[in-house]
Amino acid sequence: MTKSSMTTREKVEKSMKRRRAAEQRFRMYGVASVLFGLLCLVVLFGDILSKGTSAFSQTVIETSITLDADYLGLDKNADDQQVRLANFEGLIKQHFKDMVQPDGRKERRQLYSLVSAGASWQLQNMVLNDRSLLGQTIEVALIADDDVDQWFKHDRGHAHNAMLNETQIGWLEQWAEQGILKTRFNTLFFVNGDSREPELAGIRGAITGTFLTLLVTFLLSFPIGVAAAIYLEEFAPKNKITEFVEININNLAAVPSITFGLLGLAIFINIFGVARSTPLVGGLVLTLMTLPTIIISGRAAIKAVPPSIREAALGLGASRVQVVFHHVLPLALPGMLTGTIIGMAQALGETAPLLMIGMVAFVVDVPAFISDPSTVLPVQIFLWSDSPERAFTERTSGAIIVLLGFLVIMNTAAVMLRRRLERRW
Amino acid sequence: MEMNFNQHISGQFNADLEAIRNHMMGMGGLVERQVSNAIEAICSGDSRIADDVIRREDEVDKMEVNIDHECTQILVRRQPAASDLRMVLAVSRVVRDLERIGDEASKIAIHTMEVSDNSSNQLCQQAMRYMGAEVVKMISGALDAFARHDVEGAVDVVRNDKLVDQQYASALRELITYMMEDPRSIGQAINILWILRAIERIGDHARNISEQVIYLVKGTDVRHSSLTEIEEQAQAAAPEKDNG
Amino acid sequence: MSIIENHTTNGQPFCKDPKLTARGVGVFYGEKQAIFDVSLDIGANEVIALIGPSGCGKSTFLRCLNRMNDTIDICRVTGAIELDGEDIYDPKVDVVPLRARVGMVFQKPNPFPKSIYDNIAYGPRIHGLAQSRVELDEIVEKSLQRAGLWNEVKDRLHAPGTGLSGGQQQRLCIARTIAVDPEVILMDEPCSALDPIATAKIEELIDELRENYTIAIVTHSMQQAARVSQRTAYFHLGQLIEVNPTDQVFTTPEHALTEAYITGRFG
Repeated sequence: MTKSSMTTREKVEKSMKRRRAAEQRFRMYGVASVLFGLLCLVVLFGDILSKGTSAFSQTVIETSITLDADYLGLDKNADDQQVRLANFEGLIKQHFKDMVQPDGRKERRQLYSLVSAGASWQLQNMVLNDRSLLGQTIEVALIADDDVDQWFKHDRGHAHNAMLNETQIGWLEQWAEQGILKTRFNTLFFVNGDSREPELAGIRGAITGTFLTLLVTFLLSFPIGVAAAIYLEEFAPKNKITEFVEININNLAAVPSITFGLLGLAIFINIFGVARSTPLVGGLVLTLMTLPTIIISGRAAIKAVPPSIREAALGLGASRVQVVFHHVLPLALPGMLTGTIIGMAQALGETAPLLMIGMVAFVVDVPAFISDPSTVLPVQIFLWSDSPERAFTERTSGAIIVLLGFLVIMNTAAVMLRRRLERRW
Repeated sequence: MEMNFNQHISGQFNADLEAIRNHMMGMGGLVERQVSNAIEAICSGDSRIADDVIRREDEVDKMEVNIDHECTQILVRRQPAASDLRMVLAVSRVVRDLERIGDEASKIAIHTMEVSDNSSNQLCQQAMRYMGAEVVKMISGALDAFARHDVEGAVDVVRNDKLVDQQYASALRELITYMMEDPRSIGQAINILWILRAIERIGDHARNISEQVIYLVKGTDVRHSSLTEIEEQAQAAAPEKDNG
Repeated sequence: MSIIENHTTNGQPFCKDPKLTARGVGVFYGEKQAIFDVSLDIGANEVIALIGPSGCGKSTFLRCLNRMNDTIDICRVTGAIELDGEDIYDPKVDVVPLRARVGMVFQKPNPFPKSIYDNIAYGPRIHGLAQSRVELDEIVEKSLQRAGLWNEVKDRLHAPGTGLSGGQQQRLCIARTIAVDPEVILMDEPCSALDPIATAKIEELIDELRENYTIAIVTHSMQQAARVSQRTAYFHLGQLIEVNPTDQVFTTPEHALTEAYITGRFG
């Protein structure tokens, strides 16, 4: 050592500066990454929220309309069939013609197009529920057409609307000033199934379909996954075969989801003849997809159970099954449930495999059972995002908000469940 | 891999054990010199040597206390087992015997001064000289046996003690004869008796030390056993000291 | 150092009134042999201490005695181990009742994450030892009393067992073992995770348990072996080197390896 003049302490002091700088740098990288992630999230949510929140309101035309029994050809004793056949549409047209006095056939047609086709359903339903309304003048909020809706919510006063002409805008301005035209909460969005008319299209069918599909998925994948995890972890001999199975389960978790869709199509639909487009076949396919996740997380949860607990129970003379069901499973369950919920959340957002098994169909009716044709939320979003109408764009975002809401709820549930159950040990 | 079983994992433990052994040997050397000086003092009637022996008795006592303290320290700190435990216990007991030998040596020195005042101390000169030389040899023999873990040497010492005892008995008879012949000599004879008695005790203590050698090496406690028993024990298979 | 060729155990590996007898026991982990030809008696109502350096096979041997090694797939046991004259490795023997007869206490206190009561009651429940709730209560109380824990926990029997201190947890584990009324209790370094006071309590407990049970204890603490056991067996590299009465082992061991180990010259 030639330069022994420097003491160890001085050397340490000297190196400290460099080390502190390195630490500082590393922290900055970390903070920057987190900030970038947050920024992406904020942009995403901001975009979707700004586009989607308007989907939750709907423009209506409030007016008092006389349910002319003679015009409709109905009396108080009319049965449902007669009501369904009655010409409510004509009544509405007549009403608006009287209100605005359009000039000529072209203007009349322009006037009629301002009201949604769903308006006559509204009146019809009212009468179906209460015959005594016939002949009375009632206050109703008739659903406006999607173009009117878009104009009123977004374009009025500052943007040009290609779908409406001067005359129509003139009428609408007049109504708006009179306070006839207003927005209210869009209940239809949550209670209706899909529709070609954006103002009538809702997500109830998709939500019910999603619920049924996930129910099937859960009922199949949880017991199978847990059983597989327990068997592999606790009972299976450690040999080449189990090793092979293990590797393949891990591989399965990484298989692109569309492959599962193809598999479902080939096996469940073509070989076993399960009806396509149903929550049943969707659930089966999603089960295939979530099983590896559940098995892997289940095994991790079982592995996390301290071996000393197992030994203690074995040492007391518990059989292996008793050890598993009395000790291992209760301790591993929170972890397993968390894994399951995360798997289910994945399944909730899955589109690709469902496209393959026909869940992409346009389904108006709300499915009542797992064998009814249906669609699911993400597919509904996919379908709407493809539609040309402007109103569908905001409905797409609205549906995304609902989907994200479900995901957040499920993930929160997973975290809370884990916290609550884990507190016991 | 061949391991060296002579070394403890803890070097300090080795050093501690080594220290009590060396200190004991040092004390043994001092005590041996005390005894030979005391014998020298009787034979030559030199009161200066006797005086010196009495003065150095303090030193022996201090050494006993110190070594005993070191033994306690080892017991407390290391919880020695097996041969280490036996070593510590044996050292502690040997030190006690050495201290007693020191006491006996100073007793001899005190009596020597009384006898020398009386000038005519030719009574039992022969026996005293012979027994004295014998016990000095026994002390050094016992300490050597201890240092070398030599059971045979230790048994020899025990044998010699038997001889010393016999000589003591015959010297005693001689003294009694004197006292019966000439009651005036009783005062001096009693002094001589004390000296002989002290020498005989030194022999007993030397024997005790060699018994500790057998305890140290064989692990059997041969205190209060007869010579034949001790010889048997010494022949018995020693704890296996070589591993196959 | 390597295995001693043609080794026969020094001292007195056999006794007059054996509870457990092991003859020529060998244990293999796959290809590797962990225990070589161990023959040893464990006498009724005695405490035998198994000592030796790490990896000497003492724990492995202990775990053979109630077939805990069965849980390890690659583990193979040869030779014969008999409990009251019955071969415990006989294919007809079911390990479940065997483990109820030969209980085990582990190195780390491992109470179940359940209440104190349920910890004790678990064994009796799975073996159906109690006909009624009252009977079960009695077993729990008696076991806790025997383990010297009753006064400390009687007011919080339904508090979690994991909330006790380390020493209390270990006594809880002992109480749990006693609750199934075993004949032999195996203890695998039961005090290695405990402080000296908790250790002293466990040692005291072991001494009391000796009246009713046969106990084999593996320990790294030679002082502990010296304190609690009547006989001590020294294992070295999978061989049983020496078995002798404890006081003899700790003052005058027969074998040089035992001597070297207990005097701290290796291990």
